[in-house]
Parts: sequence; structure tokens; C-alpha cells
Amino acid sequence: MATTAPAPARTAPAAAGRAAAPAARRRRAVSYPSWMLWPAFAALLVFFLVPTLLNFVYAFTDWSAFKQGFGFVGTQNFQRLFADGSLLSSLRVTLVWALLVALLQNGLGFVLALLLEGDTRVNRGARIVFFLPVLLSPLAVGYVFQALLRPDGALNGVLGALTGSDVSIAWLGSTTWTIVVVSVVQAWKWMGLSMLIFMAGLKTMPTDVLEAARIDGASWWRTLWSVRFPLLAPAVTFNVATALLGSMNGFDTATALTNGGPARSTELLNIFIFRTFGQGLYAQATTMSLVLFLTVVIVALPVILYLRRRENVL
Amino acid sequence: MRATRSARTLAVAAAAGAALLLTSCAGGDLTSSSGDGGDDAASTWNDATADLSGVTITFGGGTAGGPLDGAIEAFQEETGATIKRVTYPDPYEQNLQTRVATGDIPDLASWQPTTSMLTALQAPANLLPLDDAPWLDSMDPAVRDIAGFVDDTRYAAIVSSPSVMGVYYNKAVFEQYGITELPQTWDEMLEDARTIQAGGGTAFVEAGGAQWPTQWAVQMQLAEAAQDGLWDEVNAGETAFTDSPIIDAITTYQGMVDEGLYNADLRTATFEDQSAHLFAGEGAMALQVNALLEQLLTQYDAQEIDDTLGWFPISAEGTVATTIPDNKNGIVAFKTGDAEREAAAKQFLTFLMTDYYPTYIEDGGLVSIVTDVPNPDTVPQLAQDIAASLGNSVGSMQSLAIANPDLYINLASLLYGEMTPEQVADATQQQFAQLAQAQGAEGF
Repeated sequence: MATTAPAPARTAPAAAGRAAAPAARRRRAVSYPSWMLWPAFAALLVFFLVPTLLNFVYAFTDWSAFKQGFGFVGTQNFQRLFADGSLLSSLRVTLVWALLVALLQNGLGFVLALLLEGDTRVNRGARIVFFLPVLLSPLAVGYVFQALLRPDGALNGVLGALTGSDVSIAWLGSTTWTIVVVSVVQAWKWMGLSMLIFMAGLKTMPTDVLEAARIDGASWWRTLWSVRFPLLAPAVTFNVATALLGSMNGFDTATALTNGGPARSTELLNIFIFRTFGQGLYAQATTMSLVLFLTVVIVALPVILYLRRRENVL
Repeated sequence: MRATRSARTLAVAAAAGAALLLTSCAGGDLTSSSGDGGDDAASTWNDATADLSGVTITFGGGTAGGPLDGAIEAFQEETGATIKRVTYPDPYEQNLQTRVATGDIPDLASWQPTTSMLTALQAPANLLPLDDAPWLDSMDPAVRDIAGFVDDTRYAAIVSSPSVMGVYYNKAVFEQYGITELPQTWDEMLEDARTIQAGGGTAFVEAGGAQWPTQWAVQMQLAEAAQDGLWDEVNAGETAFTDSPIIDAITTYQGMVDEGLYNADLRTATFEDQSAHLFAGEGAMALQVNALLEQLLTQYDAQEIDDTLGWFPISAEGTVATTIPDNKNGIVAFKTGDAEREAAAKQFLTFLMTDYYPTYIEDGGLVSIVTDVPNPDTVPQLAQDIAASLGNSVGSMQSLAIANPDLYINLASLLYGEMTPEQVADATQQQFAQLAQAQGAEGF
């Protein structure tokens, strides 16, 4: 985006000059008239700003499926939600999941980027294979893994064949570990994207710096940790921020995989919101999504600020 | 100067736009696209096969196919109408309800014809009243008025014999453990279960992985209380889920689990596992609704089912059946504001319940609820036993309570030991109160 935007600004005056337009017209052509922003701004307003503002409004109402119209009820929805432990427990699940996904997705993506860095034929093919899950439907991924992870599913079948015994682990049946399994599936789906971004970062590093490191006799490891990894900071910022914030808004894969079970141990806030909305309690659901929105902001700001500061050394 | 003016214009435009949107939403009609009725006379009852060339209507349903597909095809052929199937993924009710809330409504939809679920669709605002439907007089009186109403107005067509909670049992397993007489009370059933367990068998098959089946064991125990007005008391806020008899029923369910009367994979087993286990004799009994029979009918014929399985109703002190009409038992027609489409939607219901009815029940292996249409041969005896139990039945929580809290999700947590019976009851009550309050019910 950043690299393509200025292009028209440079070509516009040239075109105007060729047409030998009057000076006033040329001046207008040089800068963008503000009305050219209006369509984009209107779309932004209707689809982003207003819904967000409405989110704040509805959270203070008694909007529901059961009656026409609604009235304002003050902070009642918030009081109820925080008095009832469900919201906090879903929030906790969401944070754990977001953290796990961010770590696993980027950890695996980074390792893959290093492994497939070289431009060999095999690596090119492998990159495509690892990127494929990114293109898959999240729901399809959820359902496929649900089948694979059943007690009589393929994974246990493979484990059983390898160990020579009957394996019937309920991968999606543990109130402690299923959240990890679900996070792994989500990380598996998205690690290809992290890999791609890390790879782009690795491949655009200034060769003189790497050459200097080599001449100084730095080992592969030393180069990686002292030179290449710090230089990857922008990619890390982007990957961690998108993975962390994206998975805080996670819903699809987890819904298909566990629907929040077992015993609500993988019930992400969005699943809870969806369930509450489905019950017809729209105001309560809106209140929860407002809480989610605020949580994302609270988590995102320091993380992004910290990661951006790391980039300052560049 | 110019820049500041532009910025100010933008800001004013933004504020005006936001204000416009806010007020239009806040003042307006958020849940129904066609307003508040009054124009019901606009849609009429056509003859079952009246010409509908050029009319397109949508039919909302779950992912599973069924005999309705045939009805839709036949209707299209007979009338020239086009019916588009709109599939909503599971949880079906939740997904359709969410769509309806955003104004995206089909013309027809399969729907639980229970008061709580019709209320959730805001029936008076969104659904066409069916009080003067032409097929009602020919319906079995025991079924006709069993469900489908909100405030004495009929909003759902009951199209098949309503689902009933009961006990499916494997005949061979009962025989193996010497159980020759069907239990007549809950305790007698538990005695039989213990006999089976003592002999090394699995008494009950639960589908905790699917979560929703967990509520049947609790609800069935409440049948007599329901007859005595339990749900009226709950609706009025006089009795809570944390009070007897509801908490007792939950505790009993946990006792059955703790005793080891259930299958080893009770927490993770799916609905499909449940029917497979039961049919294969890997468990003696399954507490389920008609969904189990429908599942079996997709794999086995009536004879195979009757040879293998039997069915009996049970309640705390006797054999009162608990009815829970499901989304295959009912169809609702939506107020779309388009008289032609509304009439076409209603015509489909007439077609289904009159001309096409014999084929419909034959295809689906369904018990007839139309008096002059006999049961087809494809109906298992088991299905007829279920239908017969309607004579001594009472409505479920979904049918009689004003709201349908997620009791089953809490019960699934109970199976994992993540919640105690008290916590299950408390969480369910809290949600019920929240829903009741949203409806403006008195006492909450």
C-alpha cells in the first residue's frame, strides 16, 4: 500500500502539463481535491465507524429479540455480566488461546521461513504446500480436524499403528488440554502466512550487513540472533500483532472444532457472544463485544508500542 | 483555509451521517422487515395446486435433507413456483434467529413449534398467523393444538407427529439381562440399569459430545411436576431451577453418571455414536427424542428397527411422556410484506398437508397426523408407540417455559465435573431470568 499510493501524485502534474492547462487548473490537479476522499470516507463511516459507535450505544440498552424497539438501561448490562463469571471465564479462555496461537503460529512460521529460505525447486514447492492451509475455509479446517481428532479418528489410528497398541485419546475431550489442541490447529492453519512474511523480511535484508557479519566470522547462529532477527523487527511486529489480535477475534475454526466444549473450556468470547446473540439477548451480546473490543485495544496498544520501539534501532 | 473548511465539511458530514444512521436505527423497527401486521388479509389461502408461475420463495432449513425435499420438488412441478432452499448450519435455530434479527428472512422455515422458540422469532411481528388454515379440520385432534401458539394465535404448522422424550432400548440386551417387563417408574428403570451394569453391560448410552442430549434425562424426570404446573411457576419466578424438583432431577442425573451406568465415552460420544452404540447393542438404553429414530431411519428400514429396538415413555413416578416438538415437526411462514410470496408460502403448507401428505409421510416413514390418511408401511412400530404416548403426555421446558435457557451446555459441564448440580441449576436460572426479563415477564 505505502509504496503504490504516491504514484498517481507524481504522474498527475505531468499529464496536466502536457495538456498545457491554465495555471489554476494545474494547481488543482496537483493536490487531491478533498471530495475525492468522500466515497472512501463514506464507506469507512457506514461500515466501520457507525457500527463501532452503535456497539457503544446498544450496550446501554435492553435491545432483544423479544420486543420491538428498546430503551436505555444504563450500565445494567455491564453490572450483570461482570457479576456473572461467564464473561470473565470466556475472556480468560480467549487470552490464553490468543497467546498460544500467536506463539505457535509465529514460532512455526519463523522456523519454516528459515528452512525454506533458499530458492531451490523443492523449497518453492514446500512453500506452496505450507501456505495452502491459509487458503482453506476455517470451518472446513475445523470439521476436518474434528474428524481426525476423534477418539476413533485417524490420528489415534496412526499412533496406534506406530505404538502397536490401541490408542483412544479424546483429543477434544480434555477441559485442560483441548484449548492447546485447538490453538495448534489454528496455528497450523495460519503459520504459512507468518512464514511468508518472515521470508519476505529475510530476503530483503541488506546484503552488506550480512556480508560484514560473515567477514567478521560470525557463525550461522550468531548471524541469525545478532543480525538477522533484529533486522526482522517489522515482520515480527506485523506477525505478532495480526496473530494476537486476529485470534482474540477468533471464532470460526474453534466453533467448527469444539463449539466451545468440552465444558466451555474452549468457549472463546466470540462463541459466547454468538450464543448470547442466538438466544435473542442482543444488548447483552453487544455489551460483550464492546468488552472484547476494549480488551483488544488494551492488549494491542502496549504490544504494538513495544514492538514498534524495537524497530526504532533500525 | 481551504483545507480547514474541507475538514470541517467532512466532520459535519460525518456527524450528520452518523446521527442519521443512529436515529434511523434507534427509532426504527429492528427486528422485522415488514412491520407490525395488520395487513394479514393481504395474503390469502390459495388452492393447493393453484398456478404460481414466476413466483420464487425461499425455504430455510438445517443441513440435513429429508422428505421435505420431495415436497418442494413436487410443489414446484405442480404450481410452477420456484422454491430455493436456504441452508443454515448448526446450531440451526441460533443461525436462523440471528439472520431474522438482521432482517434477512426466508418465506418459510422449519422451526420448533414451541412457545419459547416462536417467541424468540417475535412471532406476532415476523410470522404469518395460521389460525384459518384450511387443513386444520382434518388433523388428528390429539396433535392439532399440542403446540404452535403464542398468545392463542397459531403461528406454526405442525407437519408431523411431535417429538417425544423417551427411552429407546435394545431388545436383545434387555433379553440378555433377563428384563422382560418394561419399567413403570424412574426408579424401576434404574433398577434395570443396575442389573445390566452388574452383569457387565452398559445400561445407558449418552452423547455428551453433542451436548444437547444431556437435557433429556433431567426433563423426563419433571413430567409429573410439569403436569402440576411446574413451568407456570418457573415462568412466574415462583420456582427456580435451583429449587426442587429441578435441582433434584439434575442431582439424580449426576448420580446415574457417578454410578457408572453410562457408556465409557459418554463425554465425547456424538449423537451418531449414540445411535450406533445402541443399535449395535453396546448399550441397553438411550434417553432421546425422535431425532434418534430419524437418524436410524436413514440407515435401516422399519423392520430392522423394530426387530432391534423398542421404546417406552418414563417419568419420575410413572410413564408420562414429555413432548418436545422439534424443527422437523413445524414450519413457519414469515411476514415478508409481499402478498404474492406470502400466499405462495401458505399455499406450500396447504399442499404439504393435503395433496402431498400421503407421499410425504411415506417418504419420511412418518406417523400420520391427518385423520383420513393411514400410516404408511414405512412407519416402524416404534414410531407408532411414540405417537401413541402423546395421549398421556406433557410439554417440555421448551414447550411450556417462556424461555429456553442453555440447560444442556451446563449439563455437559456437569459431565466433565466442571460444574456441580447446584452450579448447573444456578447458571441455568440466571440465564432464564435474563431471558424472561428481556421479554418483560413479570416476576423478573
